[in-house]
Amino acid sequence: MNLPSSLGTESAETDLSTNTTNAQRIFASPLAKRLAKNTGVNIHQIKGTGPHGRIVKRDIEAASTGNVYKETVGLSQKSSNVTSTLPAMLPTGRSYTEIPNSNTRKIIAERLTESSRDIPAYMITVDCVIDRLMEMRLDLNGRSKEDQQAYKISVNDFIIRAIALAMRKVPRINTSWTENAILQYDNIDISVAVSTSDGLITPIIRNADQKGLAEISAEMKQLALRARDNKLLPEEFQGGGFTISNLGMYGVKEFTSIINPPQSCILSVGVGEQRPIVIEGALGISNIMTCTLTSDPRTVDGALAAEFMKVFKSMVEDPLTMLL
Amino acid sequence: MAKLNYDVAIIGSGPGGYVTAIRAAQLGFKTAIIEREKLGGICLNWGCIPTKALLRSTEIYRHIKNASAYGIKVKGVEFDIKKIVGRSRDVAAQLSQGVNYLLKKNKIDILIGHGKLAGKGRIIVKENIKEYDLVAKHIILATGARARTLPGMEPDGKLIWSYKEAMVPNKLPGSMLIVGSGAIGTEFASFYHTLGVDVTVVEVLPRILPVEDEEISTLAKQLFEKDGIKIMTSTSVVSLKKGQKNITATVENDNNSSEVVVDRVVMAIGIKGNSEQLGLENTKIKIEKDHVVINEWCETGEPGVYAIGDLTGPPWLAHKASHEGIICIEKIAGKEHIKPLNKRYIPGCTYCHPQIASVGMTERSAKKDGYEVRVGKFSFQGNGKALALGEPEGLIKTIFDAKTGEMLGAHMIGVEVTELIHGYAIGMSLETTEIELIETVFPHPTLSEMMHESVLNAYERTIHF
Repeated sequence: MNLPSSLGTESAETDLSTNTTNAQRIFASPLAKRLAKNTGVNIHQIKGTGPHGRIVKRDIEAASTGNVYKETVGLSQKSSNVTSTLPAMLPTGRSYTEIPNSNTRKIIAERLTESSRDIPAYMITVDCVIDRLMEMRLDLNGRSKEDQQAYKISVNDFIIRAIALAMRKVPRINTSWTENAILQYDNIDISVAVSTSDGLITPIIRNADQKGLAEISAEMKQLALRARDNKLLPEEFQGGGFTISNLGMYGVKEFTSIINPPQSCILSVGVGEQRPIVIEGALGISNIMTCTLTSDPRTVDGALAAEFMKVFKSMVEDPLTMLL
Repeated sequence: MAKLNYDVAIIGSGPGGYVTAIRAAQLGFKTAIIEREKLGGICLNWGCIPTKALLRSTEIYRHIKNASAYGIKVKGVEFDIKKIVGRSRDVAAQLSQGVNYLLKKNKIDILIGHGKLAGKGRIIVKENIKEYDLVAKHIILATGARARTLPGMEPDGKLIWSYKEAMVPNKLPGSMLIVGSGAIGTEFASFYHTLGVDVTVVEVLPRILPVEDEEISTLAKQLFEKDGIKIMTSTSVVSLKKGQKNITATVENDNNSSEVVVDRVVMAIGIKGNSEQLGLENTKIKIEKDHVVINEWCETGEPGVYAIGDLTGPPWLAHKASHEGIICIEKIAGKEHIKPLNKRYIPGCTYCHPQIASVGMTERSAKKDGYEVRVGKFSFQGNGKALALGEPEGLIKTIFDAKTGEMLGAHMIGVEVTELIHGYAIGMSLETTEIELIETVFPHPTLSEMMHESVLNAYERTIHF
């Protein structure tokens, strides 16, 4: 399972004033702001239908009843009467506890249903030998000094950097499908899935190709922390051109994810573990990590996805090339 | 027979029709407007405008009569009803010419005559011997409404008047019975009463100005009666017996019937849509309760035919017609971000003395709709400007949704309130809550300060009372 980039979890009270000194001014009527606060609707998630896109009462009512949630941020051009047409299957004759759906939960349901239904996704899986990466990681982390800027780089930080560099080499991955054109993004912004108590959210490492491992690592820790405290600003989780979801820490060997629209690809990263491997006719043991890329064939052909994964694999397996 | 081709043809040139025509021209449509009487319709010629001119005369007369209260001595005050009426007609004529100028300026063809649908996208306009044959992609019906009548009580123009005769009296009757206490009835009551006519108002419902908030109705009745107007509520007129120079009305209240003898009766019991003689019979257009049925975009059941304004039902207000027309034509033009008219935000004004103005829901209707309400009230007695004007009678009442702070309605009675109500209308249209109104700086000393105080009162923060 994966998550939409626009999942907002920060409190609806953020920026409810009309104070213009805040760069994130939301154009909403006073009543809409009050209603959002009362109903717990996240006003940042809503597209206004009033004059000049202003958020008005009916938008909050629609969002809080969940029946006409419109496309929010990002580039999705699709129409959006997205709630499932399937009637909810209510259990009969069984006792149950009703866990009310948070607004975030409703948005997750809606966006992922939409993605699963409307995007023709396919998967490509590669095994990466990460012995050298593990060595390099140990070496680098050993050089971290308390008195200077301390760092502790994770395997995931390497993956973020490898994906960023691979995206620079294969820019067609970094795209969105629209009716008239495929939009190829100029910046390499990578969304990284973070699980929070209220659901999933994808904070973004912006211009990841221009950042070193230590910088990526520090930024990621910061974002994850703030995501778990529901303190992300909308611009910190809205946008992004590619998503990475890593379930390695749970011991998952391999899995697939649902594309995070309007992006074209999502990478599912499994655990790095010792596995038997055949090298030049002999059985050996290596650290192996299985990665699965889910892509939208409207923008990314199978061969393109394969090329991208080849570049990614070569970088992960030979991490010195990431210095180039 | 001339054959004419248009994008948009509009039947009726009242505030619905002519405003729509101008907007249509702005949007690039080749537009024609059809009028069988005078440009501007009832509003300009026989409604809103000439009555305001009449009431202005009585307002000045009242001030002069009351001049001594302001330290001014005036002797020998007289009025000339013919000149009062003449001025009213001049104002109407000037505005009708203004509409003519605006239509021409926007290159709209004006066809004088009676327009009637004649098959798909076709209108025949007849005027005596002249006849036009029109083809139009979009036809907008804006034919307005006329006074409703009761059988046996039809206006005869002599003893029984409709609004039209009441607007152009040659001389004043000694006494008058006004049937109906809506905006039209109460305005005529104020006009004639101020000029010294013995006025009685009969209302079948339990209170006058029945669409207004109950509290406003009650206060209005008190103030009218204090002024000397007789009011009979929960009373119906059973019959009118015409004599030579006067008329005997039998009225019934709680099964007690009594007789009232008056010089003139004015019928003001509501209006009905002008849906006849328009050739609607052979179309899919539906008519319910004398009004053409439309959807939120003013579309009738017949493709390519639209209807706006009084013809389509209440509220029967000029500004409602204009707004409907603009929404209708912008929808036709495919403009984005159009939304249907929200009838809750349409203010209504009555120019009786004292004036009455309101927007939104009454306290009763809000409660009936399930709102938990917060109500604010402020009396004119607490306002410096009202006292300085010598107009200490009146009330501003505001109604909020207690849960969200949404402004649900505002109701006013008192001097110049018709010029105040738009402040709340803007607020409601911008979806204000009480906070923005409380934070707004109202200028001192003005009547508008009462609008502030009323909101403060709803939240138990009144300063000046």
